[in-house]
Amino acid sequence: MTQLPLWLIPLFPLVATILLGTIAVISSGSKKGPAEGIVGALAVLFPALSFAVVAVLAFGMPEAGIRETLCNWIDIPLFKADIGFMFDGLSRIMLLFVTGIGTLIALYSTGYMHGDRGFARFFAYINLFLFSMIVLVLSDNLLLTFLGWEGVGLCSYLLIGFWNKDLSNCKAANKAFIVNRVGDIGFLLGMLCLVTVGGSGILNYDALSAFIQMILTGGHVEIVLPVLSLTGLLFFFGCTGKSAQIPLLTWLPDAMAGPTPVSALIHAATMVTSGVYLLARMGSMFALLPVVLDIITVIGMLTAFWAAMAGLFQNDIKKVLAYSTISQLGYMFMAAGVCAFDASIFHVFTHAFFKAALFLGAGAVIHSLAGEQDMRKMGGLIKKTPVTACVMIFAFFAIIGFPGFAGFWSKDLILERLFVSGPMGPTFYVIGLFTAIITAVYMGRLIILTFFGEYRGSKESEEHIHEAPASMLLPMVVLAFGAVFAGYLWAESIGVTFFSDTLAPVVGSAQAYAATLHPHAHVNPMIFAGLGTLAALLGMFIAYKVYGSARVPAAKGSSAPEGRKATWTFFFDYVHKYVGIIPVQVLAWICDVVVDKILQAAQWTIGAIATILGDGATVVQVRKVRLQVAFSIAGVVALVAVVLLTGGLI
Amino acid sequence: MLLHLLVLAPFVAAILMAATSKEDPKSSSRLAFIFGLAFVVLSVMLIAAGNKATDPIEWFRIPGCKGPVYYYLYSHGLGAWMVFLSTALSLVALVSARVTACKNYRNFAIGIFSLMGAMNGTFLAADAVLFFFFFEAMVIPAAILIASYGGKESSKAAMTFAIYTLVGSAPMMVALWYLLTKADNSLLLSLAVALQSLPAGAQTAILASFLLAFLVKTPVFPFHGWQAITYAEAPAPLSAILTGAMSKAGVFGFIAWILPIFPLNMSIVSTMMWLGLATAVYGALMALRATDGKKLLAFSSMSHLGIAVAGVFSLSEAMLPAVLVLLVAHGLCAGAQFFLMGIAERMAGTRELDKLGGLSGNSPVFSTLFGALGVMSLAVPGTAGFVGEFTVLLSLWDMGPFAALVMGFSMILSAAYMLRFIQKVIFGKASGSYDNGPRTSGLEGASIGIMAVLLLVFGFHPAFVTDSLHLFDEETVEQMNDAGKAADGEEAAETDEDADEDELPQAMTPDEIAQLDSSLKANGFTDEERKSLITQVVGAEAALALESRVQAGLDAEASDDAKTNDEALNKEASND
Repeated sequence: MTQLPLWLIPLFPLVATILLGTIAVISSGSKKGPAEGIVGALAVLFPALSFAVVAVLAFGMPEAGIRETLCNWIDIPLFKADIGFMFDGLSRIMLLFVTGIGTLIALYSTGYMHGDRGFARFFAYINLFLFSMIVLVLSDNLLLTFLGWEGVGLCSYLLIGFWNKDLSNCKAANKAFIVNRVGDIGFLLGMLCLVTVGGSGILNYDALSAFIQMILTGGHVEIVLPVLSLTGLLFFFGCTGKSAQIPLLTWLPDAMAGPTPVSALIHAATMVTSGVYLLARMGSMFALLPVVLDIITVIGMLTAFWAAMAGLFQNDIKKVLAYSTISQLGYMFMAAGVCAFDASIFHVFTHAFFKAALFLGAGAVIHSLAGEQDMRKMGGLIKKTPVTACVMIFAFFAIIGFPGFAGFWSKDLILERLFVSGPMGPTFYVIGLFTAIITAVYMGRLIILTFFGEYRGSKESEEHIHEAPASMLLPMVVLAFGAVFAGYLWAESIGVTFFSDTLAPVVGSAQAYAATLHPHAHVNPMIFAGLGTLAALLGMFIAYKVYGSARVPAAKGSSAPEGRKATWTFFFDYVHKYVGIIPVQVLAWICDVVVDKILQAAQWTIGAIATILGDGATVVQVRKVRLQVAFSIAGVVALVAVVLLTGGLI
Repeated sequence: MLLHLLVLAPFVAAILMAATSKEDPKSSSRLAFIFGLAFVVLSVMLIAAGNKATDPIEWFRIPGCKGPVYYYLYSHGLGAWMVFLSTALSLVALVSARVTACKNYRNFAIGIFSLMGAMNGTFLAADAVLFFFFFEAMVIPAAILIASYGGKESSKAAMTFAIYTLVGSAPMMVALWYLLTKADNSLLLSLAVALQSLPAGAQTAILASFLLAFLVKTPVFPFHGWQAITYAEAPAPLSAILTGAMSKAGVFGFIAWILPIFPLNMSIVSTMMWLGLATAVYGALMALRATDGKKLLAFSSMSHLGIAVAGVFSLSEAMLPAVLVLLVAHGLCAGAQFFLMGIAERMAGTRELDKLGGLSGNSPVFSTLFGALGVMSLAVPGTAGFVGEFTVLLSLWDMGPFAALVMGFSMILSAAYMLRFIQKVIFGKASGSYDNGPRTSGLEGASIGIMAVLLLVFGFHPAFVTDSLHLFDEETVEQMNDAGKAADGEEAAETDEDADEDELPQAMTPDEIAQLDSSLKANGFTDEERKSLITQVVGAEAALALESRVQAGLDAEASDDAKTNDEALNKEASND
């Protein structure tokens, strides 16, 4: 069978972007806007085609993967880069759920965005996002990955600020882009570090692995370790930006200003996990760097715990989910930090399903309540919107790690790997487990406040509550199935290891290397499963006890948490303000008010002196013929003298 | 022929424009458009044609100088691309000014064409005096245009601009004249040779006066006093040309005149690099605080050119293509942004950022372009700006991580001010009622759209730009050499010092060259590379440049070694 070319995968969303973008621009002058049917069909069809191509390729993929170099990109002395794609075990998994969930969410959006004036523009952005994300995971070198990396950041900016009439949305978008930019500089400098070590060819992932293999076999690890550690740190800094980890986590909660399908697709399922993808992709390098790995684990752990705590205090349903995403990403980084790259990718995979389902469910709730996002004004919705409620409850079981659901398998695996990771393992494990309890508490709170008890909104609004249209429900149901069953791709206790087998060619060697450093005794996985289950049950119980019967305080206007809790990114907003923004503003002030004024004064002084001298010179411009003639003669003499002295006219 | 056309024909076009009627802007704008388009076509042909040189024609003799001044043009990739920028931006300016109800379109076109001719002359001149002539000549039409078509403070802006840049290049005139009294003629290489024979103090003085002229023109901090007010007060189409093409004359001067003529020592190089970086950060910080849209763009432009200057003085082997791509990207992008800002000013009647806003609702096509070009100026990958900035960053990284870090900082700042700019202009709600001036015309939108598309094309395939770059390749050198011979046969022995590696200037003995050659060979350079390197060394004998290049070569070689090792290991592994 002839193989489909890889470039077909990103091509489809790109074509859709161009088509829809053109439609959006052309129709922008008219009052009514383009026909939603055609736009929606295009917007869903192209991602679906892309998914189909991925599926076909995924089944026929040889063990080692497919590589394809399209053309040269940059070719100058000292630096060469190609546009090339690589389809292997890792990118296969990523692509399957990126295009799959992307298609589903595009379908959902046709319902959610119905009647919006920017309908075509929205789908142009979504397709551009899918294009960038596909390039990110499909590329075979870091530079092209960076194209996708900034591309998804750009789309995130465009979509967060989609409703750009409201300036607070624009500010959230700007914040997201700028914070991401800070991380991206880390990525850029990391690439330069790598180039210093091994020339521009090393940006290719295969060449990087080969290089690592070479220094391992040659025993040169100590020589390159300092530079590689710096490289690793810089790349990880880039990842903290994209994946909203400490210290660059502040943009993600604000990013909820975008339309909800965007939050589901970009800020939950795909884009924010690209940091985890990058760590796994460069696993062979990170495995060599114990210091960097420890930093990653600690940062992941802190973020997971921190964000979970913050999630407890949110009243905005989307904000709870945003913090929950940050927290779950923390788990993934913890796993990556102990070199369990397959476990972290597995959690990326399951998380994509249940978090997308949760977000879409939240979107459906918001949609049915005509834009209300404050959980204190919800309640009792299970009677009005049963399908949405079921979807969200299934996803809830998945995220807290209830036995049998998707999150159970992946979270359990991560905790187990943490425990056996080395001397610090048990500490990491305990904190991870404690975070799991908190997860169950805040998610339980969300479910209870939204779906149970009495409806707390106004009477008039209660009559308008309706279940979402079928185009929205279908993707939610599909994702709910994923949230339940996605975990069975790797359920070791019942003997399924499909997922780890498919990733083994990519991350296997790195993990094998890490395993040799910390040989561990065999532990009984059932104990971990039991403890994990216990954590989930305990959390649910606490949530039921605390929120099930308590009177919910009435909402006071804003959906932000009360008082100083508004900054429950745990003072990182303050840190950014005092470390980043204010120094820059002070610097700018100094430049503008001090330095620039001094320069202007200097200019003025010189100008004034010139003027004064000029005024002085006018004294000789008087009507005294003799003086004038004398000047003229003197001038001619001087000129002749110069000519003669310097060698004559010829 | 192409070269003559590009330099002289714009002046002819300006004269022909004078024949059209003042009262009939329509017909004169049509004529101007046809001329402008023809020049763009010519400049594209020039890029496609590769290296070219005209026959040197003796122009005049300066009293006290040994050789004559030639009217002598030659083009290499760098100059040709700059000419492309100047013609393309002039064309769009002519289109854009058509809608801005210009008081007197005919005279505007005359000014633009003379400016274009002067700029083309600057970028194509092979003779130092000719270069200087055009370099100064650019100022006059620009200043007149600013004074007669600018905003409220236009006459003040024009005076500041003219005096600042003319005073800035006055020392260069003196230095050039002094150098000419020592040199055989005013061509590049004889100047370089003549400089070698001067005492060190005189060399430094000459270098300083040359540098000053280009620093002011670019402008580099702290010589930027004229820039913000000029760009803000000039009519927007002219600001676009000023920033997109004319400011490039400064950077062009560094590359095409300073580097080949002067032996630079480390302290000068690093001073210049840090000045460039300081400009980048300073411009970005000033842009953060700017309240005037055009001033913001002016400072943004200053910041990007600062990066370009820093890139030039990183002197890495990747410097030339990197800076060229950056300049082309910046020329197109900043130019287009000025045009768009002009349209915004026209539509809203103000360029105060706080009074603008909400244009995306009124005019979606305009705001799409505005947003797209704003994002492109952030050097998002896939646009030409990224290729330029990334490769410059790579060059700076060779000079030290701190330099790269500073550039990274300015890149972050650029995101901050540009996003704020976009938000203030097109997003949110309109803060006041607008005059509803003329909106984007089709042709205007299309031409700016083409610029955006070009940025994308160069972003994905920068080879269009980088491949045309053979500044010092063999062919040009020989061509110049032949031309020199043809010009004055009897003086061939003297003029032959132009770049012929067999007949060397006294500064470097053949032995040294041979030694250098063999060491380069040992380092694994190809013949072609060696030859071009040696010509450069002979021409400039820049000790530092040599060092850094050899160093770069070593690095490259080390990486090659790593690669070959790699491959060998792979092979072994597969054998096993």
